[in-house]
Amino acid sequence: MDNSSLAGSLFQRWLARNKYSKLRSAAPRRQGHCIECMKHLKLYFYLHSNLDPLTETYGIPFYLQYLAHWPEYFIVAEAPGGELMGYIMGKAEGSVAREEWHGHVTALSVAPEFRRLGLAAKLMEMLEEISERKGGFFVDLFVRVSNQVAVNMYKQLGYSVYRTVIEYYSASNGEPDEDAYDMRKALSSDTEKKSIVPIPHPVRPEDIE
Amino acid sequence: MAARGHVQDPNDRRLRPIYDYLDNGNNKMAIQQADKLLKKHKDLHCAKVLKAIGLQRTGKQDEAFSLAQEVATLEPTDDNSLQALTILYREMHHPELVTKLYEAAVKKVPLSEEYHSHLFMAYARVGEYKKMQQAGMALYKIVPKNPYYFWSVMSLVMQAISAQDEKLAQTMFLPLAERMVEKMVKEEKIEAEAEVQLYFMILERLGKCVEALDVVRGPLGEKLTSELRSRENKCMMMYQRLQLWPECNALSYKLLLKNPDDWQFYLSYFDSLFHLMDKSWSQPEEGEHCVEGPVQTTVAEAVKFVVDRMEEQDKKESRPLRGPYLACLELIHRLRQRGCPDEKELGDPLELMVQFFGKFGDKPCCITDLKIYLHLLPPEQRSQFKKRLGELVPLGEAGEDGFGFPGDTKALQRHLCVCQLSRALGLQHALDTEGKLRLITELKAHYHHGLQFGKSCLKTELQFSDMYCLMAAHVYVDLWTETGDENMLWQCLGVLEEGLSFSPSNAQFKLLLLLLFCRLGAFQPVVDLYSSLDAKHVQHDTIGYLLTRYAGSLGQFAAASQSCNFSLRFFHSNQKDTSEYIIQAYKYGAFEKIPEFIAFRTRLNQSLHFAQVRTERMLLDLYTEADVTLSLEESVKAMGVCPEEDDIPWDNMRDNRDLTVLVSWDPKDRELTEEHRRLSLEEESVWLKVRSLTLRLLASLALLGHAPSPRNSDKTNENGISAKSSTLQTLLSQLDQTLETAAQITEKQTQYPFLGPPSSRLASALSSGSCHCQASALQLSLTLRELETTGLDDSTELQTQICNAFKSSVAQLQEMLSRCKGEVLEMKDGRLTTRPSLLETLVFFVEKVCVNTLEAAMGTGHSDTHTHCTPAARKARVRPTTPSAVTLLTHSWYDLSGEKRDNKFINVDVRHKNI
Repeated sequence: MDNSSLAGSLFQRWLARNKYSKLRSAAPRRQGHCIECMKHLKLYFYLHSNLDPLTETYGIPFYLQYLAHWPEYFIVAEAPGGELMGYIMGKAEGSVAREEWHGHVTALSVAPEFRRLGLAAKLMEMLEEISERKGGFFVDLFVRVSNQVAVNMYKQLGYSVYRTVIEYYSASNGEPDEDAYDMRKALSSDTEKKSIVPIPHPVRPEDIE
Repeated sequence: MAARGHVQDPNDRRLRPIYDYLDNGNNKMAIQQADKLLKKHKDLHCAKVLKAIGLQRTGKQDEAFSLAQEVATLEPTDDNSLQALTILYREMHHPELVTKLYEAAVKKVPLSEEYHSHLFMAYARVGEYKKMQQAGMALYKIVPKNPYYFWSVMSLVMQAISAQDEKLAQTMFLPLAERMVEKMVKEEKIEAEAEVQLYFMILERLGKCVEALDVVRGPLGEKLTSELRSRENKCMMMYQRLQLWPECNALSYKLLLKNPDDWQFYLSYFDSLFHLMDKSWSQPEEGEHCVEGPVQTTVAEAVKFVVDRMEEQDKKESRPLRGPYLACLELIHRLRQRGCPDEKELGDPLELMVQFFGKFGDKPCCITDLKIYLHLLPPEQRSQFKKRLGELVPLGEAGEDGFGFPGDTKALQRHLCVCQLSRALGLQHALDTEGKLRLITELKAHYHHGLQFGKSCLKTELQFSDMYCLMAAHVYVDLWTETGDENMLWQCLGVLEEGLSFSPSNAQFKLLLLLLFCRLGAFQPVVDLYSSLDAKHVQHDTIGYLLTRYAGSLGQFAAASQSCNFSLRFFHSNQKDTSEYIIQAYKYGAFEKIPEFIAFRTRLNQSLHFAQVRTERMLLDLYTEADVTLSLEESVKAMGVCPEEDDIPWDNMRDNRDLTVLVSWDPKDRELTEEHRRLSLEEESVWLKVRSLTLRLLASLALLGHAPSPRNSDKTNENGISAKSSTLQTLLSQLDQTLETAAQITEKQTQYPFLGPPSSRLASALSSGSCHCQASALQLSLTLRELETTGLDDSTELQTQICNAFKSSVAQLQEMLSRCKGEVLEMKDGRLTTRPSLLETLVFFVEKVCVNTLEAAMGTGHSDTHTHCTPAARKARVRPTTPSAVTLLTHSWYDLSGEKRDNKFINVDVRHKNI
């Protein structure tokens, strides 16, 4: 999430000159899925009717930021009756030259009612395909070390732990800070699967790109 | 903070500590540091602006603004000042000033790419599409980069979208945009995917579907790669618009072969099939095959296609997909609609649904999927269906109570699904009271039994058997609505509280508890329940109504005010947030997102709930906080209410409430219908109108009461007063009209499903007499105005009228008060009964007293003014008539409020009394 204060962004603006000179030829629109597509902003209303405690609800800016920048990475699944089944949200980032260009999974959520149908796997598969098309070297994601269910699911989908990030998740409700696994899966561009060779020592959040 | 790559400007170094202070929220130090710096370097404008930011953030808006203007008038061209001013103006909600800033900057530095692009973005923030178009072109002329050119094109599209006149869009803006893109196409300058998408968007909006198809299928279409299936989706869209059913059919078929779980293509496959059949379309002679491949034109082919898809799933070793099985039911549904006998080829719906249950019965979505197709079962098959499903549920031996229980969570889920389906089939509703009570016992037993599977669940996880508990609660509600036996509601509360104790994160328990407590008039537990739902962001708009509907009406004014504030904060931040991301969408070429973002913003701005909380919040402020001894005018001005202006979008009101947030498995005939939604919105809108008119009338009175003394200039002032009086008159007649409409609406006595929208306050406001009482009191104020213009000598009739109005006002109030008397909680024959309507009426009474008090305060002010201007009359008549009447009235009110105190706002904590 965007945690920087307004003054923070002010300072960055102050530093970042000619920010428009790095114009990116960017991308398109919504991608519907699995079972039917819909407008993302309708999704936004759906999401927020979802009171499931395990489903993170982000603020408007967070969604808009992704939709403005990586709309193709925003995939939604709707059931025949119109219910929101789940969605995935991600982005492409990293340096191409250093072979770090990759797809990143920012959020993956399946409504409780539609779990155990293989939907998460399907959504992940689509995100991987988009990343393949962009020539990414790998796909990565962060997951709470304690979330064994998710870790196992990602392992089944071919992901492995690349490194541990110390205290990546900040504390809330009196719980302590929590470590994250940075999990990766190599894509076809990375023929030798160099990108997923694990780093043995844990890193701190400020040391990751 | 990132280190800087190049040589540091000494000013940057000097300013850095101020940035740091601002960054850390240490605004005071930032101001001090800026002052220090300004002593040494008087012309370091940026320091001034940074100081202004500090001031703005410490609440000194005026000072900040004038300081900023000092710099702005110098038309700065240094980056630091410009950026800082941009931030400041945005924080001050004056984005339009940013445009002025950069307009000046580009004049001074006409070749700056950066300032031009800032100017473009500044226009984008305020939606100045025409100027954006020009700024984009200006940029492109300086630096011929494609994105700049297409920013300009997109701005034309936005002019088309926002044009009031659709003709102008179709004949001017869009064709111009099209020509601009064509020019680039001809010169082979198209580079990016975004540009092709924009081209497609323009053609689509122009209705040039054939051309759009050519683009997608042609070489330009090859650029459409980021999005999965982008070209196919766009083609499909165009086929449908062009009614090219053969292509539509063939493409759907092709895509379904690839992914037999994609529901939208089943729909387009069936749609196109029936269109083709209706047109008796036949495969043309050879050589003219459809570009998308084979076309299917008969029911037999469709049946075979669906059956094949199902068999494919049956054979699969991995888990089967639901799509084909649901498609089979969908096809039966469609064939039946057309009266086509071929549905038999697909099999008996009952068997198919049993088969579906066999495959997916242990998934929680089974009920959601099957619910849509239950109408395929004839009523006489319903019990049989339930029986057949029951055979597929492995339950253990029945115990003493006659119930057998599932051995694992899968079996539990199956059993639960059968319960849900039998409820959706109306089988539960058909039971008599005894049957329902037995059903509740069964559901509770299953609930308790199922808890063993969730012993290791975390606090945030739900229990596997929670839904049994919720269903038991629903059956209690059924019993209550049928028999009126309130004991059922108390039982229901008990069940839900128990459920919540085992599953503290279950939002459905909380929502239903919340609703029940509100219905019983017990607001105390509601605030905690609502806040434990942890409603965020859009949820304030979608479910905020659950709280705001009852907080005020049950007399919890502080809670009401607070809940309005939560929602308002969300709505206000939306405006600013959205603009920033519209800009980003330009930057990254996500052109298709721009209209979507704007539509989203509009949807929130036109929200019914937004208008409601805005109005209620101001009324609450007036009722609870306005100081009648000081100037009411100030309060009204501070709120920014302008009586002449109506800022509520009555014709475009958007109902964003989530009216199905409470889970329901009720049969179709008991579900919330579109008609319910329409009626609820209508009712809420009329109630909102009553409230908003009341607010504007009060504001109008307040502003009128303190009109400047006529000594200055008699004529203009008289005109001023009469203009304001006529506003008052207009508003009053609008109020009368609205109350008439309101009466018609309440006559309908619309009943919504229990889990649907709550009724508005309209009916109880009318029946309590509060609306009419209020209208006549406001009318009285107008009459008092008349007295002022007529003068005292020739107005005997008017004065009698006023006296009578005062008298009847007191009588009305007494009448209202008498309706408030009684016990909110009544114990009779060992049964507890609640009468929340007493509370509601009492609140209306209190609001009414507030209105009268405000009026009296304004009236006193007004008669004082009057006495000033006609000193002679003061002795003669004014004192004895008007003020005494006011005094009389006020005294009566005080007496009444004395009574009120005995009755007062009882915070009935029903929770304690029950459990």
